[in-house]
Amino acid sequence: MVYSCGPPARAGQFAGPGSYTARAMTSVSLVFDGVRRRFGRVRALEPASGRVAAGEALVVTGANGAGKSTLLRCLAGLLAPDGGTVEHVEEGAALTPPERRARIGFVAPDLAFYDELSAGENLEFFARLRGLPAARAGELLERVGLPVDRAAGALSSGMRQRLRWAWALLARPRALLLDEPFQNLDREGEDSVRGLLGEHLESGGLAIVASPIPLEVAGAVSHLTLGR
Amino acid sequence: MPSPTSHWVASARAVFAKDWRCELRSRYALNAIGLFAVTTLVVTSAALGPSGSNQAMAINVLPAILWLILLFAAAAGLPRVFVHEEESRTANALRLAATPSALFAGKVAFGLSLLLAIEALVAPLYLAVMNLNLASPGLFVGALVAGGYGLATGSVLIAALASQARGRSTLFSVLAFPVLMPLLLLAIELTRNSVAGDPAGPALPQLLLYDGTVTIAGLMLFPAVWNP
Amino acid sequence: MTRTISLGLRGALWLWMSACIWGAFFYAWSDPAFIGQSSRILFFHVPMAWTSFVAYFAAAVWSAGYLWGGRQARHDRAAAAAVECGVLFGVLATITGSLWARIEWGAFWNWDPRQTSIVVVLLFYGAYLALRSAMADREVRARISSVYALIALVVTPFFYFIVPRITESLHPEPVINAERKLDVDPRMFYVLIGSSLAYMALFFWIHNLRSRAQALADAQEDELP
Repeated sequence: MVYSCGPPARAGQFAGPGSYTARAMTSVSLVFDGVRRRFGRVRALEPASGRVAAGEALVVTGANGAGKSTLLRCLAGLLAPDGGTVEHVEEGAALTPPERRARIGFVAPDLAFYDELSAGENLEFFARLRGLPAARAGELLERVGLPVDRAAGALSSGMRQRLRWAWALLARPRALLLDEPFQNLDREGEDSVRGLLGEHLESGGLAIVASPIPLEVAGAVSHLTLGR
Repeated sequence: MPSPTSHWVASARAVFAKDWRCELRSRYALNAIGLFAVTTLVVTSAALGPSGSNQAMAINVLPAILWLILLFAAAAGLPRVFVHEEESRTANALRLAATPSALFAGKVAFGLSLLLAIEALVAPLYLAVMNLNLASPGLFVGALVAGGYGLATGSVLIAALASQARGRSTLFSVLAFPVLMPLLLLAIELTRNSVAGDPAGPALPQLLLYDGTVTIAGLMLFPAVWNP
Repeated sequence: MTRTISLGLRGALWLWMSACIWGAFFYAWSDPAFIGQSSRILFFHVPMAWTSFVAYFAAAVWSAGYLWGGRQARHDRAAAAAVECGVLFGVLATITGSLWARIEWGAFWNWDPRQTSIVVVLLFYGAYLALRSAMADREVRARISSVYALIALVVTPFFYFIVPRITESLHPEPVINAERKLDVDPRMFYVLIGSSLAYMALFFWIHNLRSRAQALADAQEDELP
């Protein structure tokens, strides 16, 4: 893994109130090479390589069990790969694994929130953990069309997916890792999060999108197919 | 941008507040620990009677039983602080948002306050039903606080380990008892001294040393437990 | 070349161990302060106990090496093998110790401070092995068990202060201090030291075999389709 010796990329100035996604004018890139992982006797992920630059999306497809989710978890720093390198660069500095975890935005089907808390309380908790103003939670919930005071345990699966999106965008990440990002969403919900993804890419963010079926993403898109 | 220290403290406080808010809405740990403690209290009291008037029992047996009640009460409720995060799939969201040592501090603060609340309920009841008179109440309270601190910190650290493995609850007891054994022996010795009217002796500095050791070990080792 | 050296080392260990066994029975003096010839068990019992503590300490060092030395799987395999050896030598020391206690003190088990300590430490490392077996993923297992081995390293010294205090209060009868007697006779001292070195060499040999076998098992698993 490549580490830089310089100071870590720090969150700079927040963009204007109109921007819900990445800060403009900051460079970001994510390069992974030969990333592989096995779980005991099962090869969950064969060596995978790819490269995404600012403003680009990489769509990762593959059959069930091809290792899409495993790849995204390795890139997010939630899983240590058995081999290969991941280099996530922001503002010219390569991030260490803890910085990577703090800087990415992650949407995945097995990501859950606290059932006892409302959607708003959940996001406010995570905003506080990251040292962000609590108002950010309300802004994002409004943007994805979720009621603030509905208990997370009482959300439908589509609403949960919207909550995941709002959660992923809290800290205005420049790299989004999206595992089946549109699942369970209704038309309106999908339009709304596609809008967020479009803004994110336009403002110079990058995204890696995993899906078992081919997926249309607007803008500069490259493809990676996992499995044989 | 807040300073790193104030951000760390704010994160730990956010975890503490979140855990109490969820706990007060579900009452799971409070009910489990409280009912466990009261049930064992009733059983031992029914079996032994008000045996505190017997000096040999009061000094040699009753302090040990009090700490066994507290140990099992802690084992009934404290593993949940991390096991529940894994089981409800909120752990990954927390991994991506929280500084590990601040998360650990917040969890310890929650476990400690929970255990002190239970001690405040159980200890006076125990003294009353056992007819146990204290020669030095100050030392008794000191033993409860210093012992409770080590019990909470050690249990939370072991809960973090056990939550990563299969058979979490059973494994917790197997892992925790050797770690907590010196603490229990010291706390029992101090409690016995408080009943007998003896000075605190070497057990007090040793108990404080244990508390300090477990705290430092926890803060140093927890990041490796929590993140790949 | 390495095969020849290895064969030579194993031969030397075999000769050294045989010499120690011979020395224990025919060279060293049988201490008349003990019943019959029972003092001779010390040449086997004490080295086993020492070796188990060396093994636990080595496990903690390898665990720290795993966590802060680049997370290399070989460090974790070495730590696990050291704990396995430590438990093996610890159990043997406990058995030989209680055989001797039966002869000398009249009962297999007396909750003497040393007996208490070795059992508590065995519980600790038994828990370590239980923890390992409860985790399937190699990376998670290595990380979590390394942490537990380090917790064991910082917590077990507390027993050193506590155990003598509580067991003395329960067992006031004096216990013969074997080590103090050993200073009297140089022959006993030489055999004890020689035997300890032999057991530690035996530990490192078994440890090396065990780590290498595990490395092969891991490599074989990696080759599976």
